[in-house]
Amino acid sequence: MALELGAALGAAIAIAVSALATAWAQAKIGTAGIGALAEDDSLFGNVLILVAIPETIVIFGLVVALVIAGFI
Amino acid sequence: MKKIRVTGPKTQLENVIDSIYDLGLMDLEEYQGDLEKGGPMDESEELSELLVDIRSLISKLEPEGEEEASIHEIRNVASEISGEVKELENERDSIKNDIQGLEEKKKFYKKLKGVDVNLDDISSTDSLNFKVLDFDPSEFEEETETDQYEIFAGRNLSVLVYRDTVEVEIENSLRNVNAEEYEYSNSVTGRPLEAISNIEQKIKEKNKELEEVNQKYDEISSEWGPKLNYVEDYMTERVEKAEAPLNFAMTEKSFIAEGWIPSKEENTLRNRLISATENKIHIEIEDVEEEDNPPVKYKNNKAVGPFESLTELMARPKYDEIDPSFLILLTFPLFFGMMIGDAGYGITSGLVFLAGIKFFPQASKLFKALLWTSAATIVFGIIYGEFFGFHVLHTPFYRGDLFTEIFYLSILIGVAHVNLGLLIGAYNEYMHHGIVEALFAKGSWILLQIAALAAYLTASSYGTTPGLAVGLGIGVPTLLMLYKGEGIEGIVEIPSLISNILSYLRLFGVCIAAYTLAGTVNQMANPMLASGSLMGIAGGVLIMIVGHTLLTFIKIMEGFLQGIRLHYVEQFGWFYEGGGRKYSPFGGE
Repeated sequence: MALELGAALGAAIAIAVSALATAWAQAKIGTAGIGALAEDDSLFGNVLILVAIPETIVIFGLVVALVIAGFI
Repeated sequence: MKKIRVTGPKTQLENVIDSIYDLGLMDLEEYQGDLEKGGPMDESEELSELLVDIRSLISKLEPEGEEEASIHEIRNVASEISGEVKELENERDSIKNDIQGLEEKKKFYKKLKGVDVNLDDISSTDSLNFKVLDFDPSEFEEETETDQYEIFAGRNLSVLVYRDTVEVEIENSLRNVNAEEYEYSNSVTGRPLEAISNIEQKIKEKNKELEEVNQKYDEISSEWGPKLNYVEDYMTERVEKAEAPLNFAMTEKSFIAEGWIPSKEENTLRNRLISATENKIHIEIEDVEEEDNPPVKYKNNKAVGPFESLTELMARPKYDEIDPSFLILLTFPLFFGMMIGDAGYGITSGLVFLAGIKFFPQASKLFKALLWTSAATIVFGIIYGEFFGFHVLHTPFYRGDLFTEIFYLSILIGVAHVNLGLLIGAYNEYMHHGIVEALFAKGSWILLQIAALAAYLTASSYGTTPGLAVGLGIGVPTLLMLYKGEGIEGIVEIPSLISNILSYLRLFGVCIAAYTLAGTVNQMANPMLASGSLMGIAGGVLIMIVGHTLLTFIKIMEGFLQGIRLHYVEQFGWFYEGGGRKYSPFGGE
């Protein structure tokens, strides 16, 4: 029982913290990106890529959570 | 593309410019060389000035349609029209200001509604004075010691009338009860009720005046607007032509114009120029050389065409690079469909994109590309058997039962997609630097994956040590190749290969999220629908409509962003550089 609870908590923390980390990174990149776009809107593609990069963090969080929860 | 150079005597300059402009095929390039560059033609400056005036008039009048007119005619009347328009604008502004002032006064008197006293009568007496206040009269009555006053209470504000002699006491008491005094403007006479109707009358008059001014404005717009539009179009062309020599090289008697022409149009331009100048010019056409930077024009069939807009969103390919639009067509709708996978949302998102084509014609290409994703979503919806989150079709591929399979499938797709990118990268390297470079810089990445796979397979059947041996046996030489091909950056980038492939797990993540979200809306609506009462059913239907509409937009956004980034970041990173110059022919669209 305690083990299951621990695993569930662990999975929750893995996804929550990685989601927060992604959000924090995207917020910073997004703000800077909008600033750059205001100067030159041909940078849209590059800004989109930069904003998208940290999303991988939360995907890793999801994978770790699924592993802990015994899904995989 | 072919490089084209036109040399001729200055007498033929206008002829050449006109022909190039009318054909709209040649992308002029600024001359970079030892000769002096040309200046604009004489008329350029004057035309530009007039053009600025005309454009400002057009932006004010917003006319529709075109009607033939001569520059001469417009030049004569332009300043007159400008003056009239300016006058009308000033008039309009001042009327609008007046109306605003009157509206504010009306608001003020509305607050005084119920005060049955003519304030102007009071201000005209010698011994009486008054204040318009927002305060609590009973509190004030307790506070003040004199009785030389009277309070007339209105809807929100009150009027306090008092004798001049007690002004000081009254003001002190008001301060003590924190009364707020309102400024009274005395331009309107009478009791508040009369004043309000007076003001309304005045506003009506002003609105009538405004209408008259607007009518005059419309008259000018319909009389001159279409002519202005016509002349603007014509003059834009004239100015562009007049400024074209800025890109040319000039000597005292001759000029050189350089630029680019799509290979298959080469003869069209040559013949046109020769016939226009009666063969008095010299034309050189050369193939593109390595150090050139020609403009880039997409060359795709009808199906791939719309996906150019998605490539463009990232960056236009360089001249000698593979155009990845076809790759986006190949896999983007597939990813989108796999993630969203619901026939219902396929239909609603399709409607959204159709609306996009209609209402945002400048982005119609993008929406056309997105229509493919709707089609893919419907196909996957049928495969999964889902319609707005309901499991309507019993297929062997219901994703609710296949999470584990979708998880591994996502990684497999990742491996395939990334390696496709690597193969194209290898092809690019092969074209530019030869087979060895292609093998070292890109092939080594593929070998690295094979090493990992071989090590895993050996380890699982023969134990860890042989596995490690096989892994190192293939891995170490591969690492050396990688170092040779991409330098230390290659070694540092190895984790990014893993993270790129694992990133495709978002296909699985969004897939589950899409499945769960649609189910959640239905679960919220179910108890209400099951309640049997009319209200319950209505509420349930409302929840479903609002919920699924909202989800349509969420899913479009998720499917689009997650799907397209797998191309831009995870795949293009392995081969795509971009940064090509747009082909914009002189005089063309």
